[in-house]
Amino acid sequence: MKKKAALQILLVEDNSADARLLREMFRKERPGSFQLTHVSSLSEALVVLAKGGIDIVLLDLGLPDGHGLDTVRRAHAIAPGVPLIVLTGLEDEALAAEAMKEGAQDYLIKGEIQNRALPRALRHSIERQRMQSETDLIRTDQMQFKDEFLSHVSHELRSPLTAIHQFVTILLDGLAGALVLEQRQYLEIVLRNIKQLDSMINDLLDVTRVQSGKLVIEPQYASASDAIVYVVNTLQGAAKAKGISLNIDIELGLPMVCADPTRIRQILVVLVDNAIKFTPTGGAVEIKARIFGDDPNLLVLEISDTGCGISPDLTERIFERLFQAPDPAWAGRKGLGLGLYICKELVTLQGGRIWAKSVLGQGTVFSFTLPVFSLPKLMAPALLQEGRGAYSITLVTTELGSRTGWLSDEVRAEHCHRVRDLLRRCLYSDVDVLLPKMGSSGAAELFFMVVVTDAVGSEAIVKRIREQFNGREDALHAGLTLSTSSRSLQAIERNANESSDTFLERAAENIQAMMNEEISSRMVGHGQ
Amino acid sequence: MGNKTILIVDDDPDIREGMHVRLKYNGYDTHFATDALSCVAVALKEKPDLIILDLGLPEGDGFHAIEGVKGHPTLRMIPIVVVSARDARANQERAIQAGATAYLQKPVDNAEFLAVIRKALGELAPGEKPGETAVIA
Repeated sequence: MKKKAALQILLVEDNSADARLLREMFRKERPGSFQLTHVSSLSEALVVLAKGGIDIVLLDLGLPDGHGLDTVRRAHAIAPGVPLIVLTGLEDEALAAEAMKEGAQDYLIKGEIQNRALPRALRHSIERQRMQSETDLIRTDQMQFKDEFLSHVSHELRSPLTAIHQFVTILLDGLAGALVLEQRQYLEIVLRNIKQLDSMINDLLDVTRVQSGKLVIEPQYASASDAIVYVVNTLQGAAKAKGISLNIDIELGLPMVCADPTRIRQILVVLVDNAIKFTPTGGAVEIKARIFGDDPNLLVLEISDTGCGISPDLTERIFERLFQAPDPAWAGRKGLGLGLYICKELVTLQGGRIWAKSVLGQGTVFSFTLPVFSLPKLMAPALLQEGRGAYSITLVTTELGSRTGWLSDEVRAEHCHRVRDLLRRCLYSDVDVLLPKMGSSGAAELFFMVVVTDAVGSEAIVKRIREQFNGREDALHAGLTLSTSSRSLQAIERNANESSDTFLERAAENIQAMMNEEISSRMVGHGQ
Repeated sequence: MGNKTILIVDDDPDIREGMHVRLKYNGYDTHFATDALSCVAVALKEKPDLIILDLGLPEGDGFHAIEGVKGHPTLRMIPIVVVSARDARANQERAIQAGATAYLQKPVDNAEFLAVIRKALGELAPGEKPGETAVIA
């Protein structure tokens, strides 16, 4: 039989008597079966673990540089695949049990460890960890397979649907001869069902994206009212055809939100389309937008209808994936049960909440919130760093322009995403802030980054950005230009008794002024 | 002068036929190819005014066909309109960068389909706009 390699044990124990006792226990084992490394602090242990090669850790919870459960968390984080056994005194058994939740495989109580039991406990822990890793791997594999399968199936469904759509519209448009009234009516029913099938396929694809974390949200300085107007224009026809009035009620002076405008439209389309579907002829659907009463940092959008309503015990469950209503009033045409689920994901990803209130027979109100755009809030990670009293702030501006002096919407949409991606790679994500899109002029698109550094530090960042863009210009459309510059602001000091809100507000005003200058200087430049 | 000609490249015979009927009715003549290889061969023979291209093709996908057309001195000026079941978000940018003029996702709205083709052929009436989802470079 092949000889097994020695089991590498890391013993982390600051009490030398305890350490000696444990070492003795291993001495009685067959030589070469265990190799013990002993360190007496957590920091040393982390270094050893980072190097790798350890099969199992015996970890004391009372280390001089560790704090109880945090010791387990940190050790587990640096080597998640290595099983951990916690060593503890009799009085701390409850703590040790807690440690199991933080990733420890087992715990042993000092003074109660029997000689021969220790090696066995070690081997069992390693085996349990191995089985757990395998199960995790299988689960990840299965999830990935399911995602790929759904995505593949959805794509393949589109081809035959396309052919059906083509020929139904060829018949409907009279390309194959005139139709009698009944034929036309029936073909219109076919077409309506094709469209429903198509939107189901899109929902399926969106759901796979939700589950694989690929649903892209690009938050920006956006107008909720614009999205509402767009959706009303899109669905006015459908409402009219059913004899339903579709109205808007938007609060005057509604603030802008920090959200992805395409996604706001997507959410609204689902909610308004549903409202129209479940409201009888002669009814009304209304979209309201106002500042949220419970929290002025949020905007609330409400879609109310005079339809059949939802039974109160279902108002939460309707947002579940694949939810199907048992109510006969809803069962007229079941969808996939994905629309509201996707809405909930989209709202949550943008920092909002969605809910429904309903009275059976009287109608339903769907509400969702979106964060109000707030520069002070966005500045918080940069300007509330621990142990700092004064901040030298630099505004780094990157301009995506065009040699012709004009950027079309199409080119803009296509390249902004790419530029943001590259900029994101140049910043320290925990403290530097890449501001969301702040509106744009016709000639150029501006990207602002706020960095806490002085003039010297800002040069380094500008250099880093230029290098990042270097050689990537050809990936952009011909005729596009990219330039980056920086502008430093005098140090902003936080006064001793100033609240963080007032300080952020003050700093944001300064930064806003600087951005305005950047924008207007470019307007002048392009006017010449 | 005769009708403008459009080369339809799609491996699905029903979709080819559907496009043919729609285009013929709107005054265009059509030719067919079923994969990336024959796309270039038919384009060389027929010198179409425009190519409608699917991405999921046998024998090298649609991107190979774009490369083949855009890399050929006598073909590279022919506008390519991609009409694919593949997701626009993931493929549109790549197709436009490879040299396609526009990207439409199946199933395509007919009005939008024709507007994009007319714009690519330089026939769009002043003030007329192609559909919102289309990207015209």
